[in-house]
Amino acid sequence: MPISEQGYTHWTGTFAERRFPWWPITRLGIRMAFKRKFFKFAFAVSFLPAVIFAAGIYISERLEDFQFMFRGRRGSTTFLEVNPAYFRSYFGGDFLLFMMVMIMVLAGAGLIADDLKSNSLQLYFSRPIRKRDYLLGKMSTLAFFLLLYTLVPGVLFILLKLIFAGSLKLIAHYPWIPLAVVLDSLLITLFFTFYTLLISSLSRNRRYTAILLFLVYLFSDIFFGIFYGIFRKPGFCLLSIKANLQQVAAALFRVKPAFEVPWIYSFLILAGIALACGLVLVRKTRGVEVIR
Amino acid sequence: MNIELKDLRFNYGKIQALSGVELSLGDGACGLLGPNGAGKSTLLRILLGFLKPDRGEGRVLGYDIRRDQFAIRRLVGYMPEDDCLIPGLDAVTFTAYFGELSGMPRQEAMKRAHDVLFYVGLGEARYRSLETYSAGMKQRLKLAQALVHDPKLLFLDEPTSNLDPQGRTEILELIKDISSKKDISVLISSHILTDIEYTCSYVVILNQGKVAAQGDIEALKEIRFSLYEIKTKGESAAFLRGLRDRGCKVEETEDQVLKVYLPADMPRREIFEAAVRENVQIRMFLKSRTSLEDLFARTVGVD
Amino acid sequence: MMAVIRAEKLSKWYGNVLGLSDVTLEIGPGITGLLGPNGAGKSTFMKLLMGQLRPSIGRVTIRGADVWNNTELFADIGFCPEQDAFYDELTGWEFVVRLLSLYGFSRADAASKAERALQFVELTKDKDRPLRGYSRGMRQRLKIAQTLAHEPGIIILDEPLNGLDPLSKRKVIRLIKEFRDAGKTVLVSSHVLPEIEALTRSIVLLHQGKILAQGDIPYIRDLIEKHPHKISVKSSDPRALAASLVSQASVQNIQFGPEPGTVVFETGDRDTLFGLLPRLIVDRGIEIEEITSPDDNLQAVFDYLVGT
Repeated sequence: MPISEQGYTHWTGTFAERRFPWWPITRLGIRMAFKRKFFKFAFAVSFLPAVIFAAGIYISERLEDFQFMFRGRRGSTTFLEVNPAYFRSYFGGDFLLFMMVMIMVLAGAGLIADDLKSNSLQLYFSRPIRKRDYLLGKMSTLAFFLLLYTLVPGVLFILLKLIFAGSLKLIAHYPWIPLAVVLDSLLITLFFTFYTLLISSLSRNRRYTAILLFLVYLFSDIFFGIFYGIFRKPGFCLLSIKANLQQVAAALFRVKPAFEVPWIYSFLILAGIALACGLVLVRKTRGVEVIR
Repeated sequence: MNIELKDLRFNYGKIQALSGVELSLGDGACGLLGPNGAGKSTLLRILLGFLKPDRGEGRVLGYDIRRDQFAIRRLVGYMPEDDCLIPGLDAVTFTAYFGELSGMPRQEAMKRAHDVLFYVGLGEARYRSLETYSAGMKQRLKLAQALVHDPKLLFLDEPTSNLDPQGRTEILELIKDISSKKDISVLISSHILTDIEYTCSYVVILNQGKVAAQGDIEALKEIRFSLYEIKTKGESAAFLRGLRDRGCKVEETEDQVLKVYLPADMPRREIFEAAVRENVQIRMFLKSRTSLEDLFARTVGVD
Repeated sequence: MMAVIRAEKLSKWYGNVLGLSDVTLEIGPGITGLLGPNGAGKSTFMKLLMGQLRPSIGRVTIRGADVWNNTELFADIGFCPEQDAFYDELTGWEFVVRLLSLYGFSRADAASKAERALQFVELTKDKDRPLRGYSRGMRQRLKIAQTLAHEPGIIILDEPLNGLDPLSKRKVIRLIKEFRDAGKTVLVSSHVLPEIEALTRSIVLLHQGKILAQGDIPYIRDLIEKHPHKISVKSSDPRALAASLVSQASVQNIQFGPEPGTVVFETGDRDTLFGLLPRLIVDRGIEIEEITSPDDNLQAVFDYLVGT
């Protein structure tokens, strides 16, 4: 046929059986995150602790070269030792945790809120994807960023130390570090993922959810500060999300925690919050598939 | 048969939304009509798999509506009534995204998105952010995402709502074009009877949770035998007298339309002969049929 | 026909953006349809009519009195907006009564007017139910009740048939015709042209802020010379018919189809053509099934004027 038919043509391809049918959702979430104002900035700035700590690892191996920095402390090797406390300082760093909340706010506040607002859930669920896939897709967007700041730097630090030291001394002395890196990354990632996703599903308005995300985190710490200031009891650290995360990080790296409180309490609180978020999320989205 | 439903029932708590729907739909374009609250949206939701029926069975394109929802969703396209577009994206990204979620490989989805966007007339605008789209363009984009995975069955929910006359014409033309392809069947839920008459050949009327009437539109619109609607110009008094003398019953309605009942033995030609005799122009000549609106009123209830 | 509403050189700008430009028209009693594409200026025009906006140039008068800032006139105008903005906890009754009280009616007065209005729209038996339980059709009728409860002489309806099922539409069309029969002035705006045609033959067509056409639909159609009228004849012998007429000067174009047995003539002179037709039919012995004018409707008028 010399002239090809204009107008509607049928698609002659075949459907693909994806192992992760939710992968396009994750990709879109990441892409939309980068479109947010300030996100690129926050994204870059959040790497700062990782960069600094990586540099620190380099410096720690070349202490001799940097002797000039330590004029008053000749022969001191205790400064800048890469040990579990070093890792814990990274994973429990105030700045890092704060930046991760910022990333959650920028990338995550709208994940479900925007879909609720634009009413696009009916388009999603008219496709062959399960509610579970939808949530997994969204969660993976968040997990992507969170792991980028936890697991990736953690593993990188271990590798760098091994490379620069030229020996397996780190692992020999502190064999629990790799496992701790993985576990703490997972903890932080899972916690923030559930926390963010639930809050994002609470409202159609991205600004409210963003504010809520930020304030809950902030206020938990403020309350802790207030009560601690009044009563001077370390138990109040359980009120603060940040403190809880730091306690568990310390426990995982087998370092003395900041507060004299059994770490298991912190862990249970975090797990409890994450679980509650998960349950409410599942309950909430049960109604979501049914339009209007 | 594309859609087969047997004794479908669904309740929202105490409210009976569907109370025994029996339906058998084949290929072609079908209009779904009914008063508000008749169960149209509930029916659509069950067909799409958003809801599971309390009782009864159904098959869409041969797949069971309870067990094989994923298979159904691959083959069905849905154009919702209300706004559902994701802001911040351009049309191609948006369409390709939903193509992928339907199960198409990424490159295929992208290629197909372009094709479909050209087809619905958004070719020029497809790289623009969809917040800049007019209402008519948004409707066409919704249609595009329903078509991207090449469905066999399309569900359109109020496709012309909130469109101005140009937008309406454009969408109706598209729908007519799609449904004229023998291998895509269309189910349109709409309140605008002229739209349904323009695009569909078959109609299903729901009322109070049941199917109140279904059939070919042409067949359902009975011809009232020997009743003709005529418009004339000229001195019609003598013309009417002439007709009445021959045994016709003539009624004048508003809008200057004459309803002429022709006796069984009288050929139509006699009307024209009378017109020639009395020097009257016949500007409209139609066999009177019940309108779709009359059919709806008769089926659904007292007016 | 005495003009009730008069607009003189009415123009309105929002900053740079044109709303309405140099609109002069008169609207009298009866139903007038207000049409136009989105952005043509319909809502601007309606707001100016109701005194909600101040004209940039020109004026709007109702029965001779300027509308802007004239609160007395507001009591004579009823407006039925397009949006669905209700207080869901109120009952239908409460809703109408409270809005009435805004007009300054006494409690007793408001009650009796509300009763009448609800009766008019056939919502009496649902008047004590909260609004959240109302169906779309009921909400629309309630809006109409609220529009005419204070017995205005002028009623402006913006897309009153939107979202209604065909039966409710019939009811509302009947109601609107009842206002007209009571001598009121009704202005109806809608996008669905066949529905406007069911209501009235008198229209105002706005486009890009200006009046594109105003008047009787057939009259306007006749004025559109660029598009000759189409006459479609379905018969037993379309070709014989075509052959007989092809030599006529009044026939500009002949097309066959699309339905079998159909031939469509385009003519600028319907009188001559229709004058010839009956004689031709009788002389040739052609069996006629149908004679129609496919583009003698509002949709065609709109398309020809606004044009894609």
